[in-house]
Order: sequence, then C-alpha cells, then structure tokens
Amino acid sequence: MKNHIKLVVIMLTLSTMLFASDGKKYGKEIGLKEKTKISEVMSKPETYIGKKVLVEGTVVNVCEKRGCWIELSSDKKYETIKVKVNDGEIVFPMESKGKIALVEGELYSIDNKETKEHKENCTEDKSNCSEEKAKSDCSDHKSEKTYLLKGLGAVIK
Amino acid sequence: MKLRRYFRVIHRDFGYLFFALVIIYSVSGIAVNHVDKWNPNYKIEKSSIKIKTLNDSTITDESLAKYVVTQLDIKDSVKSSFRSGLFEIRLFMENKTIDANVKKGIADLEVISSRRFFRESNYLHLNSAKKAWTYVADYFAISLILLAVTGLFMVPGKNGLEGRGKYFVMLGILVPIIFLLIYFY
Repeated sequence: MKNHIKLVVIMLTLSTMLFASDGKKYGKEIGLKEKTKISEVMSKPETYIGKKVLVEGTVVNVCEKRGCWIELSSDKKYETIKVKVNDGEIVFPMESKGKIALVEGELYSIDNKETKEHKENCTEDKSNCSEEKAKSDCSDHKSEKTYLLKGLGAVIK
Repeated sequence: MKLRRYFRVIHRDFGYLFFALVIIYSVSGIAVNHVDKWNPNYKIEKSSIKIKTLNDSTITDESLAKYVVTQLDIKDSVKSSFRSGLFEIRLFMENKTIDANVKKGIADLEVISSRRFFRESNYLHLNSAKKAWTYVADYFAISLILLAVTGLFMVPGKNGLEGRGKYFVMLGILVPIIFLLIYFY
C-alpha cells in the first residue's frame, strides 16, 4: 500500500514538473511552428490580416475583469499588440503579467472612430483625455485602424 | 403513491450529492452578476507614489528599472520589465506591477490577490476548466431539473402542488415572464 502511495506521489510530482516546464496552455493547441516578430506584423499589418501568426512577447497588461485580452510587448521598443479572445473561451489570469506568452492568432483590424472608447473620450473635448488616452485615442495623426490579434491558443510560461 | 416515494428518494439523495455544487454555482452566480461593479476573481489595490523626477532620455532599461526600484525601496525581485515610453517603465514582480513615469515623478503600484473561494467557484461555474468538467456541469444541470421536478411532487395534500404549491409555481413562472416582457420584447 505504501509503495502505491509513493508511486502516485512520484507520478504526480513528475507530471507537475512536466506541465511547469511547458507553461500553462489556454484555448486550442498551437499548430504553427514558426514565430513571427510582433514588429514585423505591426509594420505590415495589411499583409497579415486574416492570417494565422504565432507571436511571442511579455504579457504587459491583462483584462482585469474578464481576462478576455492580454497585451504583449513587441521586440520593437515601446510597441505592443493586443490579443483579444472570445469571452469565456479563454480566461487569462492576472498573474500572467510579466510572463512570456506564445500566442497563435489571427490578425484583424477595428476602425478607431467606431470604438466606444474613442467616441466617449474624443468627440467633444480632447482636453479631457488623459495623456495615455490622448496618445492612443485622440491623436489627430493616429492611424485610422487598430490591429489586434484574435487569440486562438496560447502558452504562458 | 409509489412514484412519490421515488421522487422523495431522488430529491433527498440528489440534494445531498449536489449540495456543494449548488453552493459553488450560486455564490459564483452572485459574484459574476455584479462584474461591472467589482472584480469577482481578484482584489486589486492601486496606489500612486511620488518619486524623484529624472529627465534622462538616454537611460537604459536596466538603469531605469534600478532607479525606480531604488526610489520606491522595493525588496521584491523584478521578474521582467517593459519600457512603455522614453521616461516610462513597467516593472513586474510577484503579484505586483509598478508603472513609473520618471519624468513626471509618479509610480503607480498595483497589487493583486486572489479572492479565495470566489475565484475557484467562478473557474468551475464559468467552465474555464473545460474538458471533463463540461460533463460534470451537464450532469449537474440535468440533476437540477430532476431536483426541481421531483420537488413539485414531494408533498401531498393542501401544502402540495394540488394546494398552495400551485400558486407558488405559477408565481415562479410569472416572474421571468414579466421581466422578459419588460426588457426583452
């Protein structure tokens, strides 16, 4: 009996170690083998629209309430990409912040002028915008579109 | 009458069996119902701390991180960092994030902690586990239907479905219908 317990403990420990080294998986299995640099995706987004890409970066932000998006740092300075997932399909924990994430997803764009956030913050008085908001939403010379990754599967290490 | 005896047995034993799940799903139900007013999974404490300003745009990421840590006198080890701007850096520690703007001399501190029991309940209730838990949840849902149906026929007489019970059942049906008429149609 004691030997059986020992065996179970050893197997559990080994399986935990195995999972720990692989990182935690979210959503579908990652199928792509080749990674694409986030800077490459963001510099030529139109060529990647609707295509599946595998990107890697540090998780710099997580959706606080539903865990329905994460923001990944790019290999290019100050640049990030937002990974949005269907609510409930994948829930990213807040503890992901600062960890390395490997994400497979499809690039898509949204019209900045159509976002609720933009309308709320920028339609009437731009002086109401915080510096961050002004930079991201209210700038006149900001591109018309924001590019996001629709996350299908992820591994967070 | 024999059927009523079976209903009682089913209702009683399923009641025992699913006691824990009823509590878990109910608690989580209330928690996620108010997701716009509170975070059902985490306690997030945010605070702002003033630090000495620094106007050096040539500073490296490592030196900037070190500067912020020294300014805040933080003992936690920094897991990773992200330079979000020329004078801005985000530092990640165990359950702690610091967003510093050294030009403005402000560091925003965010400390997260899990809401024990709520987080685990939400994980199960919202089926974040997927896999085999999906079947457990399906079985639980079917069992709730059985609990509801058998509950109707447990008590005979004036306190049963033939008596006052039917008014309560009708009231219970009417409540969702009224809300649907007001909000949905």
